[in-house]
Amino acid sequence: MLKDITFGQYFESNSLIHRTDPRVKIVLMIALIVFIFVSGNMFSLLLSAAFVLLVLIVSRVPFKMYLKNMKAILPVLIFTAIINLFYGEGGTVLLSFWKLTVTTGGIYRSFFMALRIALLIFVSSALTYTTTPNDLTDAIEKLLTPLKFIGLKSAVHTLAMMMTIALRFIPTLIEEAEKIMNAQKARGADLESGGLVQRVKALIPILIPLLISSVRRASDLAEAMECRCYNGGEGKTRMKQMHTSLTDIWVTVACVLYGSFVVLLNILL
Amino acid sequence: MDNLIEVKNVTYEYTDEETVHTAVKNLSLNIKKGSFTVILGHNGSGKSTLAKMLNGLNKPTLGDILVDGINTKDEANELEVRRKVGMVFQNPDNQLVASIVEEDVAFGPENLGLEPSVIRQRVDEALKAVDMYEFRKSTPHRLSGGQKQRIAIAGIIAMQPLCLVLDEPTAMLDPKGRAEIVSTLIKLNHEKGITVILITHYMEEAEKADRVVVMNDGEIISDGAPSEIFKNVEQLKAVGLDVPQTTELLYNLQKNGFSVSTNVISIKEAACEIASALHSEEK
Amino acid sequence: MSVLEVKNLTHTYSGNTPFVNDAVSNVSFTVEKGEILGIIGHTGSGKSTLVQHLNGLLKPTDGQVLFSGEDIWENPKEIRKIRSKVGLVFQYPEYQLFEETVYADIAFGPKNMGLDGDELDSRIKEICRIVGVKPEYMEKSPFDLSGGEKRRVAIAGVMAMRPEVIVFDEPTAGLDPKGRENVIKIIKDYREATGATVIIISHSMEDMAVLADKLLVMNKGNLCMFDTVEKVFSRGNELRAIGLNVPIVTRVFAELKAMGIDVNENIFTVEAAVNELKRIRAGDGNA
Repeated sequence: MLKDITFGQYFESNSLIHRTDPRVKIVLMIALIVFIFVSGNMFSLLLSAAFVLLVLIVSRVPFKMYLKNMKAILPVLIFTAIINLFYGEGGTVLLSFWKLTVTTGGIYRSFFMALRIALLIFVSSALTYTTTPNDLTDAIEKLLTPLKFIGLKSAVHTLAMMMTIALRFIPTLIEEAEKIMNAQKARGADLESGGLVQRVKALIPILIPLLISSVRRASDLAEAMECRCYNGGEGKTRMKQMHTSLTDIWVTVACVLYGSFVVLLNILL
Repeated sequence: MDNLIEVKNVTYEYTDEETVHTAVKNLSLNIKKGSFTVILGHNGSGKSTLAKMLNGLNKPTLGDILVDGINTKDEANELEVRRKVGMVFQNPDNQLVASIVEEDVAFGPENLGLEPSVIRQRVDEALKAVDMYEFRKSTPHRLSGGQKQRIAIAGIIAMQPLCLVLDEPTAMLDPKGRAEIVSTLIKLNHEKGITVILITHYMEEAEKADRVVVMNDGEIISDGAPSEIFKNVEQLKAVGLDVPQTTELLYNLQKNGFSVSTNVISIKEAACEIASALHSEEK
Repeated sequence: MSVLEVKNLTHTYSGNTPFVNDAVSNVSFTVEKGEILGIIGHTGSGKSTLVQHLNGLLKPTDGQVLFSGEDIWENPKEIRKIRSKVGLVFQYPEYQLFEETVYADIAFGPKNMGLDGDELDSRIKEICRIVGVKPEYMEKSPFDLSGGEKRRVAIAGVMAMRPEVIVFDEPTAGLDPKGRENVIKIIKDYREATGATVIIISHSMEDMAVLADKLLVMNKGNLCMFDTVEKVFSRGNELRAIGLNVPIVTRVFAELKAMGIDVNENIFTVEAAVNELKRIRAGDGNA
């Protein structure tokens, strides 16, 4: 189960979306999310859905990978849909029991909200599948550059370094947690049954070794970084330079077009 | 040949719960430029402490260490010393910073503030030198231990150090990974002229070195060519070290009255040694 | 009498997760009571996946694992019971230590089995005597011990459940020669004291030659040899073809044979080698 977490798992390809400058990608993703929220009626939302679908197709990441991320969020999606089912107003009453009524308006609203969340997940997955974690981190660091001028220079760098290291060690720690879990199970630990208190207690034999090993890893890593002349980012250069290119302009134009249509549809309908 | 590293009467002490321990005792050692030295010793023999002093990570309590003429004690030279003497540690997982191979290798040169194009060139070169160029876009956690450790070596090589110090780089690897690391180091030593100091407790790895230094209790107890060192099977065993099985065999034959010498390691040489002993018996 | 029987075991990992997994396909073998079985194979050959089936940590995709003739998955709710009968010591077991004292950590397994009071106490003391955990360590924190001692305590923690079969996944990995020697002694001592069946995964053919009665060779998820140590090591070419090898002494003897000296090639340990050469010397002397 733990191994299904693919957050931060880059999917190698050379699509248009992959080639887009990560900084541009992040800004556009934020814009896309805003537009999805702005899409106030079914027409504009369906247009957003069509645009997101286009992005997914162009990204050349197998659709299966996107669905896998969706699976993780499925409970939230279902929950939202059900809640909204009873919240919607107007339309004909289809079903009524106890204090709850389901109307056609409710079904409409439930579908609308679920689609909106699904689109958000697709957009953010598209970003993480097409951008290496390091590019993402670098882009965030670059985008936060203005903060450097108000005296937060080392804070920006530290944040970026922390993100890089976190991304690097997440898979390692997941693997380690699994190993420790198996080792304690082999010693008869019962992780599956019992009440809440018992289950939390059962985690201690896993969390303590994990904590100790993380501390050990952290001190090893600090030493290794020192040996590689790490100096808190002072005077550091980057191998990969980010250049905006024609691709970025096209992608931006596409997003602007889509955005104006959303706004237009909202106003017209 | 010149000395790249000079260790002069160095003592290292550390305090643990108010008791003072001496990890390295008045030790002197010179490392020649371009040499391949293996330091052997069991856990706690002081070999790791010594290693960390060679690039200034630990500072000697007494005595001095000169790297290419620079004293490691001088704070102002810290970065210079680290760039000249690169370190590789035991656990490959805990040395890699970035989640893409080439970006990890770039970490050192980036810290040195080099031009992007220069970094690119050094990263490519370093990855080729350890035969990992084709994996440059991979993520480290999908690689084998041996491959990860080679990435760690590339990350150091990219800083173009004069010397590579490796603290038990093979301890956590399988035999295949161990062989990969040893052949990578030999290649770097021969082709790039990088001085190599390999710390290990695997005797087989000492076979290909120019020089073997055996440490025990913070002191050097023997120092010489591999064949010289392996002769003293009893001394090695006494300090908790193993000998290669060929040496073990020859040693046992010697004890049983065969006239064989124990200063050979390879299988072929060992067989020849035994064959000639059998022939001389015949006569 | 067979204690463990693996029948047509297949394990495939579900989904196409990006993590590398080593699957196992259609593996069958039997482990006799009291023997030492060595498992050799490359990293990724399926060895680790295989042994995690023996105590029910993994459930076979297909096939069965029988303990004393009974399918361990007969009643899935009872699967935890098998874990005290088939102990599994993972690689680097010292990373599983978590209690405040050595004593408490060793007690974790037996406590999970439901032992308590005097029974628990005597069980712990007994196992510490067998594997050589010093009494003065009992109240110490396991994290204050040296690497080799931590491993000793971790192994004792599994042995304290008194498993009838105990499986070790590369028990000597990462240790120095003295540490390796100690671990091998612990394994031998436990076996002598309890008559347990032992299964060891190792990369060291030399250790295997000294320790094991039988060898199981895995390659790419398949069982490719399962026989006595002698028979397996006599198939040197096949072993080399899958990237493994025979012990170094065996290679020395193959070399001697190639030089035209009439030696027995089935020599796997230094002890046997010395005896064989003595025999040849004596024979030559008489001639």
